[in-house]
Amino acid sequence: MRMPPFTLHTPDNLAKALALAGELTDFDWVSGGTDLLPNYKWHLNPSPDVISLAKVQELNTLSPTVIGAMVRIHDLVESEVAHPLLRETAATIASIMIRRSATVGGNICLDTRCFWFNQTEDWRRSIEWCLKCDCGTGADCRVIPNQNTLCVATYQADLAAAFIALDATIHLAGASGARSMPFAEFFQLDGVTRNVLKAGELVTHVTLPETASQWNGAYQKLRLRETWDFPEAGVAAAWRIEGGSLTGLRLATTGCESIPGDHTELAMEAIADWDGKASIRALAEGVRKAVKPVNNTYFPPSYRRKMLRVLTRRALSELEGL
Amino acid sequence: MGKGYRQAPGKGGASKKRKDGGRIAGQQDFGVPGSGGASPHSNLQDLDHVPSSVGGWMPQPRGPHVHDRHLTGTTIGKSVPLIDANWKVTGQAEYGDDIRLPGELIGKILRSPHHHALVKSVDTTAAEAMEGVFAVATGADSENSFGVLPVTKDEHAMAREKVRHVGDLVACVAAIDEATAIQAMHAITVDYEVLPSIHDMEDGLLDSEHPIHDRGKYHVGESNVQKRVFQQFGDLDGMAAAPYRHEADWETAGVHHGFTEPHAVVAHWDPSGRLTLWSPQQVPHYLHRALSSVLDIPMHQINVHRTFVGGGFGGKSDPFPHEMCAAILARKCGRPVRINFDREEVYWINRGRHPSRIQMGVFADEEGRIAGIETDALIDGGAFASFGHVTTYYNGVLHTSPYEIGGFHYTGARVWTNKPASGAMRGHGAVNSRCAVEVGIDAVCEQMNVDPMTFRLANLLPPHSRTITGFRITSTGMRECLAKVREMSGWDEKFRNLPLGRGIGVGCGFFISGSGLPIHWDPENFPHATVHLQCDMDGGVTVHTGAAEIGQGSDTAIAQAVSEVLALPLDMIRIRSKETDTAPVDLGSYSSRVTFMNANAAIRAAGELRDKVMKAAWEITGYHPDVLVIGDRRIYYRHDPAIGVSWLEAVHKAQADSGALIASGAYRTPPMGGVHKGAAAGLAPAYSFSAYVAEVEVDVETGFTKVIRAWAAHDCGKALNPLAVKGQIIGSCHMGMGQVLSEEMKYGRDGHLMNPDLLDFKIMSVHEMPEVIPIIVESNDPEGPFGAKEAGEGPLLPILPAVCNAIHDAIGIRIDEMPVTPDRLYKRIEQACKAQGVDDPLDLANPTYSASALQTTLAERAEAHALRDHQRDIQKDRSSYVNGVLFGFDPDIPPSEQIEGWRESITPSPEDLVDETKRAARAWSHVERRHRGDA
Repeated sequence: MRMPPFTLHTPDNLAKALALAGELTDFDWVSGGTDLLPNYKWHLNPSPDVISLAKVQELNTLSPTVIGAMVRIHDLVESEVAHPLLRETAATIASIMIRRSATVGGNICLDTRCFWFNQTEDWRRSIEWCLKCDCGTGADCRVIPNQNTLCVATYQADLAAAFIALDATIHLAGASGARSMPFAEFFQLDGVTRNVLKAGELVTHVTLPETASQWNGAYQKLRLRETWDFPEAGVAAAWRIEGGSLTGLRLATTGCESIPGDHTELAMEAIADWDGKASIRALAEGVRKAVKPVNNTYFPPSYRRKMLRVLTRRALSELEGL
Repeated sequence: MGKGYRQAPGKGGASKKRKDGGRIAGQQDFGVPGSGGASPHSNLQDLDHVPSSVGGWMPQPRGPHVHDRHLTGTTIGKSVPLIDANWKVTGQAEYGDDIRLPGELIGKILRSPHHHALVKSVDTTAAEAMEGVFAVATGADSENSFGVLPVTKDEHAMAREKVRHVGDLVACVAAIDEATAIQAMHAITVDYEVLPSIHDMEDGLLDSEHPIHDRGKYHVGESNVQKRVFQQFGDLDGMAAAPYRHEADWETAGVHHGFTEPHAVVAHWDPSGRLTLWSPQQVPHYLHRALSSVLDIPMHQINVHRTFVGGGFGGKSDPFPHEMCAAILARKCGRPVRINFDREEVYWINRGRHPSRIQMGVFADEEGRIAGIETDALIDGGAFASFGHVTTYYNGVLHTSPYEIGGFHYTGARVWTNKPASGAMRGHGAVNSRCAVEVGIDAVCEQMNVDPMTFRLANLLPPHSRTITGFRITSTGMRECLAKVREMSGWDEKFRNLPLGRGIGVGCGFFISGSGLPIHWDPENFPHATVHLQCDMDGGVTVHTGAAEIGQGSDTAIAQAVSEVLALPLDMIRIRSKETDTAPVDLGSYSSRVTFMNANAAIRAAGELRDKVMKAAWEITGYHPDVLVIGDRRIYYRHDPAIGVSWLEAVHKAQADSGALIASGAYRTPPMGGVHKGAAAGLAPAYSFSAYVAEVEVDVETGFTKVIRAWAAHDCGKALNPLAVKGQIIGSCHMGMGQVLSEEMKYGRDGHLMNPDLLDFKIMSVHEMPEVIPIIVESNDPEGPFGAKEAGEGPLLPILPAVCNAIHDAIGIRIDEMPVTPDRLYKRIEQACKAQGVDDPLDLANPTYSASALQTTLAERAEAHALRDHQRDIQKDRSSYVNGVLFGFDPDIPPSEQIEGWRESITPSPEDLVDETKRAARAWSHVERRHRGDA
């Protein structure tokens, strides 16, 4: 198995990186490389140019409310200033060796996954490719057959759920300038499009509201083994308790659809009339109904949906008594 | 007692002499030179490891052993690091892909993208014309077939007329580097005509327009049935009428060995025209034979080198098409060719455990005896035979032990499907069925309200008995295994007493320690293992053995055997086991035969060498070998240790007329077994026994099962190296737990293998692995080397049923599929909730147990049998015992002459095939072509 040939660029600051990105027509960003390099080795939509952010120093900020895109997952886990929900979520990612190289930005921008897509080149040749990597053949999706308009590859990264639950803002930059948006709005259907990044843009950092420290949270992840495996479903919850009652609640899911799910509306409805365990059960059922996983990950979609109930309940178990 | 005799060579001790030249009493006068060695003084004899029967302090609860006289207390029974361990941990071990010959070319294999297709033509012109390409080969270059079993040589190096699975070999290239080879490979155009393919094993039972193989006159109907087995022994009417019964229909997925090292091969035709080939092989001898017939050259023109093996487990125990390809390419271009697999290719060659559908019936009578075991096993062979002919037997024949049974019925069938070929994975065919038997036993125990531990203890075949099909049981430590895990796990307090979600379960295993008959029919009774020793003037001993060291420690076991007999430190023994030119033939590392057969051969050879050296010592000292002791690098007079000679001096004396000392030892299995067709399958010179208890925690809300702890007792006869045996037990638990909880080769809706990689083939990580407490039981096998039996495959079997039975104890759900992944268990939990009328799985009923009167009967019988077995163990009771004595039959009269309705059959009658639900039985509805007159 061999890497496809590509030119690696290593700009040493952000401005140079963005300028270079503006010039190249077909390139990929690489930060830790723990997602990109395996995909390249399997010839999954490789580009002839790759811009590495390894030498760019400006994206490393880590504070209670700012998380730079190049912050290594391991450093986030070990950080004493980062939000506990982020640390808890980050600690579930992959394995410790991968966490040492992987980055926050890379995890946010993780390529979507599907067991028809994440295969070697020879394997995919034997199924005559698929929509997400069709090698110019116009191949159909293999999950939802006989169509080549909608890719349903699944978003299987963890941090996004925690960021949505914490009401984070995501910041992008490109040659033409910077922009930002509420975290959930960064993502866009479908499994090929994935997010709103324009050509030449990258994620620079994520910010949390100043009030984030008033929020506690929990992350529940469904995966077969306690290491390596991507989330088959993930539920992040964040809440604020003031004077013994629940004044804020946010819920997000990941690992179930092509983009993470923001269930804040459901959560806000629930706290209007909070009744501890009963509310949690209703909320869990609401989350289960809101999400429609497809059959392209390890566990069958019906199981993942049912487990969303359990994951939601367990994420909110601290609120049972309220 | 002082430091012991000096062994430094060249520095003699100048002991004082009397004025008349005689020796002063009590003064040492050892011969010059000493033998040298890491320890400068001879160690005192370790009497704790010398058996009491020959004057040592080692207790022998099961009596003496014929090899006791060979035990010097040097290394046997001691935990020693494997002698090649440093090579591995320092990264200097050379595995298949580490071999680098000057001028090597890189080989790549073009594989089929289709499940099943005719190969109309292969156009290699573009590839051959490419710069940097030195050779291209196709099926046209591989006319001769091969296969690990002589009876099913159904493979070619590359496809001749058709491809039979995605990943099947079509062509290969040798080029200057990998990139060029890949490019050239893709430049080969193949014209396929796609054929209908089958992916469900039951479709293999049907007649087909395009059977995957053509077996000529032996072809079964027009189907994809490759092999059928039928065996009926015993009182089957009694079995059918049994009051307690559990019938289950098991579905087990195929699993893969998951070894770290992918396959690799280097082939080179040396300047004298001989083929030299390096491969991480479990069976270098079988590869040697296959290369000879595929390449049409005599075996003496081939030298097979076995490199370090990074894990085999049955996945490297065939001669492989890629090995043939490397040899063919190297012959074409005259340069060495190296082929190295990526992980996906490891899945294409497969040889993993057969996916199976097993219908298992366990029957018990009103006295708590096993009235019978009825098995129908359909196994999915994939595209080639590999070891499958044998697997088809092993799915049933090993059920005749360790318990005494009233009747035995087995129908087995193996079918071809368009999948990567299944083969002989660790435990070979016995694993899935044994799990089903052990779970069935637990189920009938539940019906009878008896403790499954006691039930087993009350139904064991004793030592030195015969099974219902004629297997010869010699040593058995089953009883001690059960007793130990019962005690250490706290079984009596925990069984059916843990809260919902926590459970404890027991499972047993029974496995062969080497196959009794070789796979190549051999009228000359060629030895199964031969060991040659050579001792030259340096005093060190070179051991030539063909035994394949695959990480299981065979080199170490053989070194230990030689070191023990000669009382030399291990570092004076050097093993040469890597080259067929110099290693005497050994059949290979499979069926758990290596320790038993090679260590036995090694003991014989070492005994012969020792006798030569002792004779020389006699000539020097004047004392007869009967009164000489062989100690650490020194042979001395038993009654005055001061009188003696160093090993080296004796060796030099022995060499005086003959030069280098050589000795040879061989092992052959004794005659054994019945005479019916297939009687050989399952025959072994000894068997291993094991009993495990697993404690689990099941999260009923998610279906996740976690094994908390496992107590694993394995009877290996004698642990030559306890460190190695414990390692095998723990490793087997990991592999078995993986199969029961998470591992499976997943096939998608259109037949593709969806997870040919180590992310999606879910091997347990360290987080999932529980504490395993390995317990060694030593039943002192009379024919085993120092009493030893296998510990390579047997330790895998019991963990599967132990976990399945523990899950039942935890949540009351009877498992009948593997792997029991969380989603599958959750489905069963939902069904149980519905059946019990509860909404929340946390409200499920927790299984309970209250002993019936039968429990007391069984407990008493177990106690009586314990006494019976001990008498037989120590040879006080030498009466014959044949399966059936428990049911009141006379062991000295053939059962058919004393039992009404006793059956013995290996061909089904029409009545036997009436039940349409029995899958393998349906295979028997076909008639072979030769019997239909249209061969």
